Amino acid sequence: MINLEFIINTISLGSLYAMLALGLVIIYGILRLVNFAYGELIMIGGYTMFLLTGATPLPWLVISFLAVAAAMFTSLFTELVAFRPVREKSLTAMLITSFAVSTLLQNGALLIISPRARAVTLPQLFQTSVMIAGTSVPWRNILTILTCIATLVLLTMLLRYTVLGIALRAAADNFTMTRILGVPANTVISTAFAISGIMAGIVSIFWIGRSASVTPTIGAPPLLVAFVATVIGGMRSLTGAVVGGFVYATIISLLGVFLPPELMEFREAFMFVFVIIILLVRPQGLVRSKTSVERMG
Amino acid sequence: MRLSNRLKPFYTPLLLTAIVLLVAVLTELISMSLLVRIVTVMFVSLILVLGLQLFMGNSGILSFAHIGFMGIGAYTSVLFSMTPAAKTLANPEMYPFLVTLHLPFLPAVLMGALFATFIAAVISFPLMRLSDAAAVITTFALLVISHVVLVHLDRVTNGPRTLFGVDFKTTLWTSVVFAVITIFAVFMFKESRVGLRLRATRDDAYAAASIGINMVVMRWLAFTASAFLAGIGGALWAHFITSFSPYSFYLTETFVILAMLVIGGPYSVSGAVVGTLVVTATREILRAIENYINILQVFPEGFFGFTEVVLAIVLILILVFRPSGIMGSREFTWPPRSRKEDYLGADQAANPNQ
Amino acid sequence: MLELEKVHARYGAITALRGISIQVSNGELVALLGVNGAGKSTTLATIAGVMHPWQGSILFEGEPIAGKSPEQVARLGISLVPEGRDIFPSLTVEENLRLGAYTRKEKIEYRRNLEEVFDLFPVLKERLQQPGGTLSGGEQQQLAIARALMSNPRLLMLDEPSLGLAPALVDQIFELIARLHQRAVTILLVEQNVERTLEIVDRAYLMNTGLIEIQGTPQELRAKADIEGIYMGMRRQPDS
Repeated sequence: MINLEFIINTISLGSLYAMLALGLVIIYGILRLVNFAYGELIMIGGYTMFLLTGATPLPWLVISFLAVAAAMFTSLFTELVAFRPVREKSLTAMLITSFAVSTLLQNGALLIISPRARAVTLPQLFQTSVMIAGTSVPWRNILTILTCIATLVLLTMLLRYTVLGIALRAAADNFTMTRILGVPANTVISTAFAISGIMAGIVSIFWIGRSASVTPTIGAPPLLVAFVATVIGGMRSLTGAVVGGFVYATIISLLGVFLPPELMEFREAFMFVFVIIILLVRPQGLVRSKTSVERMG
Repeated sequence: MRLSNRLKPFYTPLLLTAIVLLVAVLTELISMSLLVRIVTVMFVSLILVLGLQLFMGNSGILSFAHIGFMGIGAYTSVLFSMTPAAKTLANPEMYPFLVTLHLPFLPAVLMGALFATFIAAVISFPLMRLSDAAAVITTFALLVISHVVLVHLDRVTNGPRTLFGVDFKTTLWTSVVFAVITIFAVFMFKESRVGLRLRATRDDAYAAASIGINMVVMRWLAFTASAFLAGIGGALWAHFITSFSPYSFYLTETFVILAMLVIGGPYSVSGAVVGTLVVTATREILRAIENYINILQVFPEGFFGFTEVVLAIVLILILVFRPSGIMGSREFTWPPRSRKEDYLGADQAANPNQ
Repeated sequence: MLELEKVHARYGAITALRGISIQVSNGELVALLGVNGAGKSTTLATIAGVMHPWQGSILFEGEPIAGKSPEQVARLGISLVPEGRDIFPSLTVEENLRLGAYTRKEKIEYRRNLEEVFDLFPVLKERLQQPGGTLSGGEQQQLAIARALMSNPRLLMLDEPSLGLAPALVDQIFELIARLHQRAVTILLVEQNVERTLEIVDRAYLMNTGLIEIQGTPQELRAKADIEGIYMGMRRQPDS
């Protein structure tokens, strides 16, 4: 039923998916690389939370921060060690590398920790709800929405008002040209990977916050979500990623309400068929870009 | 000698067949059942890797969809090869019209391959005109779709549960015969006009278009042919392992087959063979180490994932230091000569997307 | 200032430059002429570090720069305006210019360069906050050149700046280049518009299939080569 609870939950899901898509697009926009290892950054965030909540009495806020940091440093590390040496070769080589890194991280977690799911102790806040206009809304959802807004504001400020941010946006338009102007490729790319890692870390807090456990394969579902949201949004623009995230969340939620039960399980398959159709029919995504037309004359 | 002249163009597949036969004969002689199992699976994997090579090596496009077609071939073939009784036992909910199907082994394998080919032919045509980046994403989407469908078509595949009771049909020599045929087929595709034209589009799409090569059709033919081989591989594998679930046809398997191809060298048939041999050997050694450590119970949670971690590292190292694989776009020839393919530039071999 | 010696460059299996030698002295305006595919753009790309020569040497103010990355070359003071303008469509005019000044760290210098650019290209001041993609072709060309000037380049390389522009704008562009030349900016210019180019340059090289066929002052070139023939062959239809 479409009621207030549904709407708030959908907006919360959209916020989560938007942040998820952002982390993927920021790398794709510059390098044309779909980072298959992106899901594993969420896994890293999750395991960091697991390790810290179990072993130390640190407050949850600190742990969250460390989880984000862990995801960010892992992202930077993979860029330095795996992606940078392959960057000059070809896009295909980078794609295969990202697939290999994904496998590496997943099985690394399997090896170092365990194949079994690990419980993550969540803060009290994540299990409580608040009454808004007569419906019970989990605090977790509200926090997701607030975090998303804060993240978008900070990111926008970075991209608009700092030289590095301008360089990042320029690199997404034309990477070679930014290098010709003297912007170091490594700086731009490392920054993109760092932002990607931060987004993954933030997402991991709320993703794990729903299930309270982490496994080596926890990165796969969010990766697929990021995939779809990104394609819907057009893969090139960050605004598109955000829109794509909300659109996907809305579609999935609506399908959840209106789709007959037998077809529900195929939701994911439908979304990927949708992905293929978009790539065929409107590869620039559903978001119209205002700068895509050049005046003649 | 006229015979040797007629055989000359086939030196590569003949050499590769010799290697395959050598391995098979040795395995037969040593006759350890574990070794027989490993080698049989290796030859089935070889068929899959060769199928992937046919598409990826000639078109230059990375395809993640391959294992999806393997799954389709596997399930289709067992739906034909299992007796109605066996099917009812394994999956009581199965659609009645599927239960009644029954064919002998070889026709069942063929049906599996043909159905995979049919699906590939129908859905892939519009996708073949996409740019390389978008094409890769769509092949990944196809893999996910095929996986989701296989997992949720309970009344066909038994859903996420294991489908058991398949007859064991893939003996060592069965897999050898199919592997040898595949080697020749993939090699002949490579040397055929379609293969040549496809490689022209890989090297320079515009130049190829300007001389009238229809890139979309060429890609489509290769994609469909490669799906056929994936179907064969899937069917053979299903009749080796005799019980399986859709989870055998997803990302892990994709990674292994891709690693075999890339490590061996994606641009040549010899690369596919070499890669399969090298990776299988490496994996088995690593797995033995893994098992040994597990038996020793050194780690309380078990020692898992070691094989995959090492394989992933090796794959990354190859991509960094030797991106065209062990074979480096060369084929085995006799007499052994270092010779790049005539229609490959030295840099183009390493940089297909430049 | 700039010296190429026997430079060879390749795209994959295709050899684009087959041993070219070029000199550009301080303050000179030198042109590379030739038909499409002669290797002119490749030459600029190789100097800028976008491509790397597989043989030969490139010296800039005595220092070897062959094989350096584009960002390193830019820091040495070489600015390239590629063919096709390549402005950043989703960035505003101001942001484009800001990025052009990336290698310059001082704010005062930035403001001064900005003023100079507004002086040369008043239309950019008008459209300062508009996204680059909404500018017309001629305005984008001005933006591209302005952006390159923001870094106070020691050597400015322009690749076909008049390409695709209406005749009135072509006049403007050549006037601009002549004016920059008067301000003692060293310029290496690639153009297909032979007549207009020879009017303003100090020296020119005529390239053909990766080699230099003729070189010299405009008078020498007119004497040595059938400029009329080349001009007729390359004569462009007036842009509408």
